[in-house]
Amino acid sequence: MSYLGQQLVNGLTLGGVYALIALGYSLVYGVLQILNFAHGDVYMVGAFLGYFVELALGGPTKSIVPVPIMLFLMFAISMIGTGLLGIVIERFAYRPLRGSSRIAPLISALGVSILLQNAAQLIFSANIRSYDTSSFIPSTLGFSIGDVTIDSVRITVLILAFALMFALSRWVNKTQVGRAMRAIAIDRDAAVMMGIDIDKVIRWTFFVGAALAAAAGVMNGLLLRGVSSGMGFVPGLKGFTAAVIGGIGSIPGAMAGGLLLGVVESLTQGYLSTNFSDFYTFILLIAVMLLRPNGLFGKKAIVKA
Amino acid sequence: MKKFSRLSVVALSSAIALSGAGAVVVASPANAAACSGTVAIMAPLTGGVAFIGVQQAEFAKLAVADYNKKNGTSFITKDYDTQLDAAQASTQAPNIVADKTTIGIMGPAGSQEVLATGGLFGANDIAVVSPSATRTNLTAGTYPSFFRSVPNDSQQGPGDADFMVKNLKAKEITVIEEKTAYGTGLATEVMAQLKKLKVKATKYSVNEKNADYAALVTRVSKTSDFVFVTFQDAAKSESVAQELIKQKKKAVVFGSDGSDQPTFKTKGTYVSAFAPDIKGIPSSAAVIAGYKSTYNKTDADITTFGPPAYVAAQVIVEAAGRVCAAGKTADAKSTLAEIFKTKIAKSVLGGPIAFTDKGDVKGGRFYVFQTQADGSRKLVG
Repeated sequence: MSYLGQQLVNGLTLGGVYALIALGYSLVYGVLQILNFAHGDVYMVGAFLGYFVELALGGPTKSIVPVPIMLFLMFAISMIGTGLLGIVIERFAYRPLRGSSRIAPLISALGVSILLQNAAQLIFSANIRSYDTSSFIPSTLGFSIGDVTIDSVRITVLILAFALMFALSRWVNKTQVGRAMRAIAIDRDAAVMMGIDIDKVIRWTFFVGAALAAAAGVMNGLLLRGVSSGMGFVPGLKGFTAAVIGGIGSIPGAMAGGLLLGVVESLTQGYLSTNFSDFYTFILLIAVMLLRPNGLFGKKAIVKA
Repeated sequence: MKKFSRLSVVALSSAIALSGAGAVVVASPANAAACSGTVAIMAPLTGGVAFIGVQQAEFAKLAVADYNKKNGTSFITKDYDTQLDAAQASTQAPNIVADKTTIGIMGPAGSQEVLATGGLFGANDIAVVSPSATRTNLTAGTYPSFFRSVPNDSQQGPGDADFMVKNLKAKEITVIEEKTAYGTGLATEVMAQLKKLKVKATKYSVNEKNADYAALVTRVSKTSDFVFVTFQDAAKSESVAQELIKQKKKAVVFGSDGSDQPTFKTKGTYVSAFAPDIKGIPSSAAVIAGYKSTYNKTDADITTFGPPAYVAAQVIVEAAGRVCAAGKTADAKSTLAEIFKTKIAKSVLGGPIAFTDKGDVKGGRFYVFQTQADGSRKLVG
């Protein structure tokens, strides 16, 4: 039982990271109906920004501020910086293609992905950077329930992931921009006629999506340590898978899809195969698509005849 | 007629001059500049392990520059990015073959890339000198033009297993096999030796793209003494080491040469390396100084991946230089023949370099280091 419990803890933490990435995909798809395949690389930039904030504050062993403040600044600056990057990407890679064929922004997204990867390597060098988390948050810090151990980094990641998801839900449901976002997702033409500033809402969408990816990037850095220019591809793919499983365009779906994907991945590694967890993950994706083509929380699209 | 005669004389003189230049090139200061050719650098210059490839390329370029400076030759290098990927290496290989100025290849970095391209290079008599491909069967005879400046996994696998059992008194070992040509071959060697030593061993295979090892560490037995990892990215080894601590498992990570990078720094862990730390070799000081000044680096930037690349490139240009000194034009085929005769009395790795007829470095050995509290390594075996 404790073995299962430990694997669930592992899976939920991983799933929290996937969910934050998936939210970015879903937000952008919901508003613009485009797949932002550069999102994994936006996550990578977020991880790098967190790393450089850590360095600027004295590094993992000689931080000039208390650890909680350092963590807050790492997340905050990374999220704001990466959010602004999201706005720039939208302005130069997607807005000029609005109204073009659906394949054009997809190709543009792939171009941005490669551009970000290579730019990161050029600017940050090819070296793998490490958050060196254990130097400022001891790995032994945490608590145990029976044989299930939950270290402090996992606790931080879990709490923060759920807090961000909750905050996003509130923002989408309770703020004017959030309501406008939902209106555009339902019917863009009608939203425009109602006087909604569509460019402003899209800018917000990219900002929030990229900021959440940045938070996931910093979490990845804290949990797994390695930060490199090529780190975005696999998590980006998993985030996209989670968004599709949950129902792309659906915010609760992205959250549920991410958590489910993380838990399934952890359990398959724990019980079935450490080598073929991706195989089972994508079997799950196919199964969901066959049983619920619009994903777990997706709704059938109404198409004008 | 007069005009024709004058043209004939010019043409004849040019032909004699050209044929002379092509047939007799001696590497003496007077005409050493004519001793030229391209050393192809096949390395992961971009992608997830680009830090390895970039350092290999830098050291290889330094070796060529040092040789040119000392001998007045004009060898150049050309980069071919492989991303440590067999498919990418296969794409680049025909370009290298097509370049007739190629005299040899420094690289590729990974065993899987050699498996993918070694046949083509062998068929075209182009020497391949890898600074890091350690899979044992690469020198089984399938790739007649393949050499390596590092020892192979038939030395590393059993050596590491012996060290864990005999020196560190391990009773139970978990092996994490990353599913790459390198990881699979090495894990097989380690498991075979552990079986011989009658030690309880469990092997788990993981996909190369995996990044989170929490679920895998949960599977590691609480009684396991060591977790032997075959990653080519040390951040993964570090991740496993920290996850073991978090999950209160007593096992200590023992990394293969792929883990010998600064990001693997948990105190008390072990790592085997195919090269010594050249910073401790006095005769290598000039190369270290040259590397640091040329590329604006510090001591901390020098890992064990770079210096074997220096040796690999040095082997190629020295062989080509000997071809020139014998009065011939250095090309791939003649350079390949000369590489078999390589005898470097003292390389930057601290010892002599010569090859067996299969292409393995003679007398190669692995070094075992233990990680200290400050992340530095102490030689323990």
